[in-house]
Amino acid sequence: MLRSATVLLLLATTSCVARGDEVVELATEIDGLIRRRLAAENVTAAPVADDAEFLRRVFLDLGGRIPPSTRVRRFLADRDPDKRRKVVDELLDSSLYVVHFSNVWRKALLPETQADPQTRVLVPAFEAWLRQKLTDDTSYSEMVREIVTVPLAASRNPREIPGQADRPSPLAFYQAKQIKPENLAASTARTFLGIRIECAQCHDHPFDNWKQNEFWSFAAFFAGMERQGRGGFLAAIREVADRRKLKIPGTETSVGPVFLDGSRPLPTQTRGARQLLADWMITAENSYFAKAAVNRLWSQMFGIGLVDPPDDFTADNPPSHPKLLDLLASEFASHNFDVRHILRSIVASDAYQRTSRQTDPSQQKPRLFSRMAVKGLSPEQIFDSLAQATGYVPAAVGRTSTGPGALDSVRSEFVDLFGDDSSRPTQQRTTILQALALMNGGLVAEATSLDRSRTLTAVVEFPALGTGDRVEALFLAALGRRPGAKRLAALVAYVDAGGVTKDPAAALADVFWALLNSSEFLLNH
Amino acid sequence: MTPFSGMSRRQWLALAAAGAVTPPASGLFGRIAHATAASRRRRCILLWMSGGPSQIDTFDMKPGHANGGPFRPIATTVAGLRFSQHLPKLSRQAKHLAVLRSMATKEGDHQRATFKMRTGYLPQGPIHYPTLGSLFSKELSDGTSPLPDFVSVAPYRFLSPAAFGPGFLGPEFAPLIVGDTNPVAMGPGGVVDESRALRVRNLQQPEGIGTARVDARLKLLGQFEADFGAERPDVPVRSHRTAYRQAVKMMRSESVTAFDLDDEPAAIRDAYGRNGFGQGCLLARRLVERGVPFVEVSLNGADAQMQLGWDTHQNNFDTVKRLCSTLDSGWATLLEDLGSRGLLESTLVIWMGEFGRTPKINPNRGRDHFPNAWSTVLAGGGVRGGQAVGRTAADGTEVADRPITTGDLLATVCGALGIDAQKQNVSNVGRPIRLVDPRATVVEGVLG
Repeated sequence: MLRSATVLLLLATTSCVARGDEVVELATEIDGLIRRRLAAENVTAAPVADDAEFLRRVFLDLGGRIPPSTRVRRFLADRDPDKRRKVVDELLDSSLYVVHFSNVWRKALLPETQADPQTRVLVPAFEAWLRQKLTDDTSYSEMVREIVTVPLAASRNPREIPGQADRPSPLAFYQAKQIKPENLAASTARTFLGIRIECAQCHDHPFDNWKQNEFWSFAAFFAGMERQGRGGFLAAIREVADRRKLKIPGTETSVGPVFLDGSRPLPTQTRGARQLLADWMITAENSYFAKAAVNRLWSQMFGIGLVDPPDDFTADNPPSHPKLLDLLASEFASHNFDVRHILRSIVASDAYQRTSRQTDPSQQKPRLFSRMAVKGLSPEQIFDSLAQATGYVPAAVGRTSTGPGALDSVRSEFVDLFGDDSSRPTQQRTTILQALALMNGGLVAEATSLDRSRTLTAVVEFPALGTGDRVEALFLAALGRRPGAKRLAALVAYVDAGGVTKDPAAALADVFWALLNSSEFLLNH
Repeated sequence: MTPFSGMSRRQWLALAAAGAVTPPASGLFGRIAHATAASRRRRCILLWMSGGPSQIDTFDMKPGHANGGPFRPIATTVAGLRFSQHLPKLSRQAKHLAVLRSMATKEGDHQRATFKMRTGYLPQGPIHYPTLGSLFSKELSDGTSPLPDFVSVAPYRFLSPAAFGPGFLGPEFAPLIVGDTNPVAMGPGGVVDESRALRVRNLQQPEGIGTARVDARLKLLGQFEADFGAERPDVPVRSHRTAYRQAVKMMRSESVTAFDLDDEPAAIRDAYGRNGFGQGCLLARRLVERGVPFVEVSLNGADAQMQLGWDTHQNNFDTVKRLCSTLDSGWATLLEDLGSRGLLESTLVIWMGEFGRTPKINPNRGRDHFPNAWSTVLAGGGVRGGQAVGRTAADGTEVADRPITTGDLLATVCGALGIDAQKQNVSNVGRPIRLVDPRATVVEGVLG
């Protein structure tokens, strides 16, 4: 039994190699490793999702919002066997991807902006910079190098506010860490290497090998940082380029920079300390760098990392699929740290494309990836999906309203309310306040108003449509799928009877309201 | 029947329990303890000090010792019991306070210590331990309140989000969170108005949509949920259902006026302190008054910042002084107000953070993390106030008498609340977990 499975696997792999397609090849390898584990644990995998479920998922995961209903209709009608691959390519080349992943990276790199509202002024310039990098197709390693080595002299003028979208800069990484060497060391290790060394800041780490000395030696790469005067996060920053020693607080010991693997920069290396740190981090030999990155991408797509929590690589917290992690990391490094290559391959795998329905009682352990987990959406995804479904157009026109990510006060208020509770997407909870906002708040009220809603007005007023077509149009707009026959029949009866007010148009508004409040709309599945 | 109308809470809980959180029978004794708890109707307010407050500068002063720092002790209304000079109002409430001076808890990292103090357990593999508010509100609820059983004011969840959630008890036991965004809300004319941040928004049905129509919409929604949820037992799906049920119940109840702090006389609002924490304490009183069994109020910073405000590695004394001013007005007024309304006997107030601060003052005039010997305070319902329990050495660096573990503290809290600390819940991995670590013992002499 096992042997025949292996043979099949080999056959599948061979046929794909023959096509010379790296994406399919990697996806097949991913599936091989995932299936091997499922077989070993006697778990039956759920079938691949239908077209509608798949399309909605990739739009949310890669583009940050649900698909427009016209795109859904086109996709469902398309007979091209390669259409899934093509829509993924289309999304990864679109501005939707750039805007969504700028948001994703910003939250990963500046987690402070999720926790402390005061740091939000740092977001526009940082996201603008990320959008620039993603548009230019800068590799991940170069992006990280630019962040770590950002020149600090630029912000010498204290009156200059380095938080504006028209001045793209990764400086916020330093500002959000309050320019403190210890914060920068902890964040750098955690964000780019998946290693939590901050416990060693005050004492030797109880479980891992990180000693207090090692922590501060790593922090010494940032020893030259100085904040100039007052001004909180936005104070001017200066760097004393040749300062390499850092005093461990509360002791008389000073330490010089040492990499986390114990090696030291050579005394002959005259480049800045941060340049040396970046050089060391992004080498292909530093496997933590690539592993941490692909694990983050995996976790972004599945809601659960191969190592989970995704930024905690320790002996205590082993990966669920070690070989898969190694494979993705080496592919990432050998493809010049190309994020889109990894995303394209993950999305092409059956593991990613499985339905979120539980189709077999054995599908209990989320870390085996036997079915797609249901994930919460980010506040931005919910807002942009609501906007997509309802035809919302921002009324408030901000100063920088021309570009993507433009100021929109309705959007930012909504994003604030929905916050992020920083729990994992598969554990994300709807709060009572969010439920109230969606049931009673202005945005959904507008969207379901017969006078003011674009989508609803179009559906209600379009001539020569039957009730069934109108209900279907609302389903496509909100859920990206057609209603099942039974549900459709019940809804047509409800609308034709006119609901509470005996008015079919109002009854359609009720249906749209319920769709926009449903968990199927508000979650990624 | 839809999930949103006509179904009682009991039916809902039964449905929920059919999922992952069926409470096991804990034997005859467990049932008796539970019945007792219900008849005593105890409530709990947790004042959570983010970052770990300094014991030596508040409740366990060391005057005359180099570790003591510049603050002076002052007499309280209880002979022999002394607090910091920066807690003058609280010193007049001393007869309600039991100061536990001998906390010894081992965890010195924010994340782990916060998890331990707020759940009673250390993070352990796949088990999702619930936070205290979820655990205790589940036990204390009589299921009749139209408000959520657990309200959390301004929690700073960033470092240890799991320590603030319902864990394996599931979304039904999640807190209603207010005041965690927009901490500095602006009122008319740009005046800072703390109560706006604590208000629950969007309670009114949309204009022109009557209740009958809302019911019709909720019925449709219930059908969609049934379609989608049938094959998706995931947490986000279940929590959506729970949140909508609770939201509908709340928006249709009179009790939501609890959140309108404008109903209170200006003098009362001033007494609590016109800041996020003070107004949060006032809200806590209004909520327990309306039967909410568990409310927590976090003090994260003297100016309503969202941060680990008590994490005073630098500049400890200025920071602690400012935080104490906020703390003193909020907490002392809360005790007085509860007392004058006859609620203090049935309301336990807990004051704690994740750990204390080092007795030794570091070169930055700061104090660092210190779990070895520090203080927590219990006050009000079920507690014999007017005393200090346990003792630390003259230099504050170790416990000299009666070391108290996290479990001991929580077992004592359970005692004060009339909850069976050994009751078990079934965890997400199928293993039964007791409310409190079974090795813990109730701290002697604290319960009244």
